[in-house]
Amino acid sequence: MDPLERALRDIERALGDEAFQEGVKRAARHAEERVPHILEEHPYLRELAREVRRVKEEVLSNLDHYIEEAMESLGRMGARAYLAGDASEAREIVAGIVGTGKTVVLSKSMTAEELGLREYLESLGNEVWETDLGQLLIQLEGGKPMHSVAPAVHLTRERVAALLREKLGLRVPPGTSPEEMVRLVRGFLREKFTSADVGISGANAIAAETGSIVLVENEGNIRLVTGLPPVHIAVAGVEKIVPTLLDALKVAIVQAAYDGLYPPNYINVISGPSATADIEHKRVRGAHGPLEVHVVLVDNGRRAALRDPLLSEQLRCIRCGRCQWECPVWQHTANLWGGPSYGGPMGVVWTAITRGVEEASGLALLCLGCARCDYVCPVEIPISRILRSLKARYSKRITRGV
Amino acid sequence: MASVRAVLEFLADSTLKTGLPVPVPMEEVYSWAIPLGLPRSGRVHLYTGALYQLMPYIERLGRYLESLEGSRSAAAILRLARALIAAPRFTRTLLSPEPQALERPRAILSRIARFLGAAGYYVAYPYEGDLYSGVLLYDMGLDDAFAEVASRVYRVLKEAGAEEIVTVDPHTTHVMRSVYPKYVDGYDLEVRNYLEVLAEAVDSGRVRLRPRVREVVIHDPCFYARYEGIIEEPRRILRAAGVEVREPRRSGRMTYCCGGPVESISPRLASKIAETRLSELREESKTVVVMCPICYANLSRANRLGLRIIDIAEAFDVEV
Ligand code: SF4
Repeated sequence: MDPLERALRDIERALGDEAFQEGVKRAARHAEERVPHILEEHPYLRELAREVRRVKEEVLSNLDHYIEEAMESLGRMGARAYLAGDASEAREIVAGIVGTGKTVVLSKSMTAEELGLREYLESLGNEVWETDLGQLLIQLEGGKPMHSVAPAVHLTRERVAALLREKLGLRVPPGTSPEEMVRLVRGFLREKFTSADVGISGANAIAAETGSIVLVENEGNIRLVTGLPPVHIAVAGVEKIVPTLLDALKVAIVQAAYDGLYPPNYINVISGPSATADIEHKRVRGAHGPLEVHVVLVDNGRRAALRDPLLSEQLRCIRCGRCQWECPVWQHTANLWGGPSYGGPMGVVWTAITRGVEEASGLALLCLGCARCDYVCPVEIPISRILRSLKARYSKRITRGV
Repeated sequence: MASVRAVLEFLADSTLKTGLPVPVPMEEVYSWAIPLGLPRSGRVHLYTGALYQLMPYIERLGRYLESLEGSRSAAAILRLARALIAAPRFTRTLLSPEPQALERPRAILSRIARFLGAAGYYVAYPYEGDLYSGVLLYDMGLDDAFAEVASRVYRVLKEAGAEEIVTVDPHTTHVMRSVYPKYVDGYDLEVRNYLEVLAEAVDSGRVRLRPRVREVVIHDPCFYARYEGIIEEPRRILRAAGVEVREPRRSGRMTYCCGGPVESISPRLASKIAETRLSELREESKTVVVMCPICYANLSRANRLGLRIIDIAEAFDVEV
């Protein structure tokens, strides 16, 4: 089916779904009000966002060099680094590390989503669990994440209760409070965490200089995913590389603030496998955390996009999701508009980068061109201008250039 | 949804062949100016770009294409386009927009021309040369057709002696001021928006205004607020006229779209966005002031809340 037609069909359904509309609108309103408040209260955040923009531009102007530096540093820290050209190569690398018959815990990662990692590992006979609550609900629902940071915004508490009951067999009678549901899920996942063979995460940033992976979160599941199982695999787009650990921390801070959750509960820094120096102050690998750390850097269209004057601007994106929160179309469709994994204004562009302009350009026709996204993006990506250029490519193709 | 391709080709074909996105006789565009006797040549031209006048047709055309049995068939739509281009008079019969819907924009435009006169800004008008700017083609990414349209519009205005144009809606303002220079070689028209002209005249005391409504909630169009930075001017004008201006939750630079631009792709989505907007406007006032014919059309269509939606030019009068 044509991607635009499919999106229109899904959107048509969502427009008639009162609970969906209410959930998305309410969450967006909170974010619309919270982010300006956060930025006002912590004036240094805007300056940090400008710095992140500069840092990203620097990396993108010399990406191959930074990829090389990051891989070297990762190796030096005792992590294994891989560079995957496309999605299938990335899946194979991860599958090669995981094998079959394993228990795998995942923390929410849009890159894992882009790769279809969960489904692929399941197809190889692994038991795979999302551990971010929202993302777990998406897994149970069998749908796609509806926002980059808040994947289950469209689900009401009643719907959540039904999913936990039907799919996990948890005892969730009608009227159960959100607190109680969270407690039940925690109990369920705790056991998966301790028995997992492999933990898979994304990365908010990777420091080329030190080979450190930085991850920002609120639930605390990422610390468990990356800390408890003996093997940790991080998958990350190559555009996540920044020069230094300080830059990586800035990305994490800005990402959290512009998503509307500030301060974040946790920022994790992972520099290679766990180690101890408690015996004669000599560094020994493998302590309480993982013994193995693997980092799969994913290209999947990114380096090709660098050659496109407009698509390349999207590579600065830190996936804060603010353009989604503020978009009038997104506020009525959530990520049903955007492509198979990404959604909203930035999502259409990421679909173009990772799956090709052909697949994404028709979707751009649903952009209003209202430019709210351009005004709120922390790294000043001219999103609506990129979408207009995708429209132009679509129009040119279907009308053969009238 | 009618075939996107056919709709795009309809727009492009019609604009290239007739100068208008929907083929209608040119009088439909300029008849409003005849009673005012605006001169044909001069340094400053009022250029409407026909958007106000054509909105009733564009709206009807969308509905008509949707209702066509087998509207997915691009061939049928294109045959229709060709027939109408050959006989533009037939468009009115076929689409039969409401007479008031055609009258309203004419009244608005003559009010605007009178405001400008009162401000001492005497404008010429190009009549047959008040062609459509092609803004929809630009928005839909039909760049080649747009470039051709743009250079024709520019040539016609220059031939009429225009050095400066005064525009009346946000889309035409943006396209003439910020997009044409990128598509037309040697483009040197100065572009002012009538709200800018009027706000200046009001500030300097050259014009005095009086209200026609007591209080309004203001709906900033995206293209004024975010593309052209026209945010304070309408407020200054309304306040000077003694109209109380209320701000909705999302206003000024972060104003909320009326949904209009996706109307041709998803009418249902366009109307849902309009409903969302209307319900937050209603929290401030029962009278909504708009400044764009697309906002007017899309908000009016979704207006099941009984709000009164008026154009800013209908909200005040000049004192003589
Ligand atoms: S495009 Fe900008 S606003 Fe949207 S997710 Fe990326 S960084 Fe955030």
